[in-house]
Amino acid sequence: MPPGAAPTPVRPAPTPQPLGAVARRRGPRTELLAPFVLVAPAVLIIVGLRLWPLVLGINFSFTGDGDRNGMPVGLDNYVTLLGDPLFRTALRNVGLLVLLLPVAVAIPGLLATFIYLRTPGHRVYRAVYFFPAVLSPVIVGAIFNLLLAYDGPFNEVLAVVGLGPVDWLGDPDVAIFAVAGVHVWATFGMALVVFLAGFANLDPSLLDAARVDGASLPQSIRHVIVPGLTRTIQFVFVTTMIGLLTSMFGLLFVMTGGGPEASTYLPEYYIWVQQGQFNQPALASAASTALFLIMLLVGLAQIGVLRRAGREG
Amino acid sequence: MRQRTLWSAVLVLGLALSAGCGSAGVSGSPPGGSGDKLVVWDWKSGDPSAAAYLEKARADFAKSHPGVEVEFVAQPFDQYYTLLGAAIQAGKGPDVILFNGGGQLRDRVDSLLPLDTYVAADRERLAGWDAFAHGGKTYASPVTLQGHPWYYNKSLYEQAGLDPDAPAGTWDEFVEDCGVIADRTGAKCFAVGNKEGIGIQFFLSATGSAVLAPDEYDRWIAGERDWTSPGVKRIFELWRQVEAAGLNNDGVNSTAMFNDAFAVFQSGKAAHVIGLMSDVGHWKDFAEFLEPDDVGVMAAPVVVPGVTPSLPYDGGIGYGVAKWTRDPEVAADLVRSLTSTEALRAFHADAGAIASDTTVDVSAGGPAVTAISSGLRTGKPALHVALPSKTVDLMGRLSQQLLSGSVTVDEAVAQLAASDEAS
Repeated sequence: MPPGAAPTPVRPAPTPQPLGAVARRRGPRTELLAPFVLVAPAVLIIVGLRLWPLVLGINFSFTGDGDRNGMPVGLDNYVTLLGDPLFRTALRNVGLLVLLLPVAVAIPGLLATFIYLRTPGHRVYRAVYFFPAVLSPVIVGAIFNLLLAYDGPFNEVLAVVGLGPVDWLGDPDVAIFAVAGVHVWATFGMALVVFLAGFANLDPSLLDAARVDGASLPQSIRHVIVPGLTRTIQFVFVTTMIGLLTSMFGLLFVMTGGGPEASTYLPEYYIWVQQGQFNQPALASAASTALFLIMLLVGLAQIGVLRRAGREG
Repeated sequence: MRQRTLWSAVLVLGLALSAGCGSAGVSGSPPGGSGDKLVVWDWKSGDPSAAAYLEKARADFAKSHPGVEVEFVAQPFDQYYTLLGAAIQAGKGPDVILFNGGGQLRDRVDSLLPLDTYVAADRERLAGWDAFAHGGKTYASPVTLQGHPWYYNKSLYEQAGLDPDAPAGTWDEFVEDCGVIADRTGAKCFAVGNKEGIGIQFFLSATGSAVLAPDEYDRWIAGERDWTSPGVKRIFELWRQVEAAGLNNDGVNSTAMFNDAFAVFQSGKAAHVIGLMSDVGHWKDFAEFLEPDDVGVMAAPVVVPGVTPSLPYDGGIGYGVAKWTRDPEVAADLVRSLTSTEALRAFHADAGAIASDTTVDVSAGGPAVTAISSGLRTGKPALHVALPSKTVDLMGRLSQQLLSGSVTVDEAVAQLAASDEAS
């Protein structure tokens, strides 16, 4: 038998080829599916528990309350909102809080600077400053209700230095500042920790160099510390803003109940009153939607600022 | 970027399509309890002082419906109407619901069952029905009566050299007495808290019958309110004057009625307080701090000559039945058990409430409660309870502005009239 005439097919059957093709085809498919499977839980949670309720809530804000329960009413709720002096006060207070934001950021920043510069007793201060951050707003509110009472210790101290009593929580021009001040007191510990973390990344030789060059403390802060902490400061701005707009409910509830003369209303509190006290869930939904839009705008603006700063950095 | 725009477009489109098409509030199958179980919502059942009351009520109900289980769910009062609103909205509310009389109930009558046919036999025995009625129908049975007696501290009267058993009968005499008390004891005339805007509610109702003629009073209750009448303006003017004359404790707008203002009275720092009859801030609370015999109850001093002051009171709390309960008759029977004489007697004794049952003997409660219950016969519904809850809320804010001087009485009553009209 001539060797070349062997009829036996020595070439391996081409069976592995399709197998290989299948394997190659399956490979990319699983690879294609895998990311979807992996992100599915997160996506489902976000869609099911966040976005879908959000859509329902927005949808609900276009329906009526009471006799018109469930009926589409178009933009009626939003018109009501704009006409409601309470809601306008709430929005004005949001603006006020935004204006107070630099103060709320400067306080932990300055205190963190002093700790960083090893002011005598800085270890004690670090613990003391953080302490209020672990208290619940209800406890903080109750404490300051006592401290700020008309016949409370604050006014007694004022009387010692010869100043008339201030009705901290009863004077409509003062109350919102009192509550915001307490909020800052109660929450600045967290921002302080963030600042300290930022300081950890600051090159101490820069400060030493400034000192050698004869820079004063304000000059060091202005020309060395602030530029070195830009990113940290921006982060604290964003988180403090969110805290001011969304976490004051507990304090308001305990300290002023929105009063006096409705001067301390914030959108959150307004939503709660409309839903819980006046049984107007659809109007409350409209207010929630408005608050959501405000937060969205503020958040987007801040992300924009951060991104630009990041590019510069 | 393009993809993000696409997603936004899809979201917006989805919203636009679904907007207004439906509501989370519409629901068809809402029963709170199953066929042999009734769910009751309240803010009382967790309170030890209500234990005997509930036990008696349960026993009474078990006699007629031995197989039906009753579950009491105590909610925190602060959140009660918020939670209830959410439950109603979700269509998963309880079968039997505890309500405060007045606005809180009236705002929710479209979720409640008219009880008139079920509770007809209790009509005579119980008082305070008006606070639970709306549009001629009754939506709940009263458990307690709530009202606003004018309490005074007899020992301060004695210290000031005034006759503790003959308090002033007219407003001018009253203000004069207050001056004497302030001079000789240092105590203020009124303990009042208006942080929540509640001070004005009590003041309006407690002084109303001393200012308004009976027919104007009755028309107010019936819903024909003339906010700009001289009498109504006089009440708000008095509210302002009392503060301006320094008769109130300091910092009224930052003092909580519950319970800082009551604490001012209990600690003898003020001689008078417009308090409550049931629950808190009442004769039983005061008697724990002051001597029971020192807690006096007086009629409102007459402001406009010729009128006869009466005790303002209404049904305080009461049980209603939700529309969606499976067997209304059983639920209504539970309400009747919760307002049975035996149960209410226990509630009066333990919780210090003035029970709605007029046959309950209250003489063991001391002189103050005897004085209150003797006023029930001639008493009338309280003025503020008749108001829509939005108007009450506005009145709270305006009352704070009246005290701080940032609004005049004329402006205040005009705003209140508009709010009342709109509600």
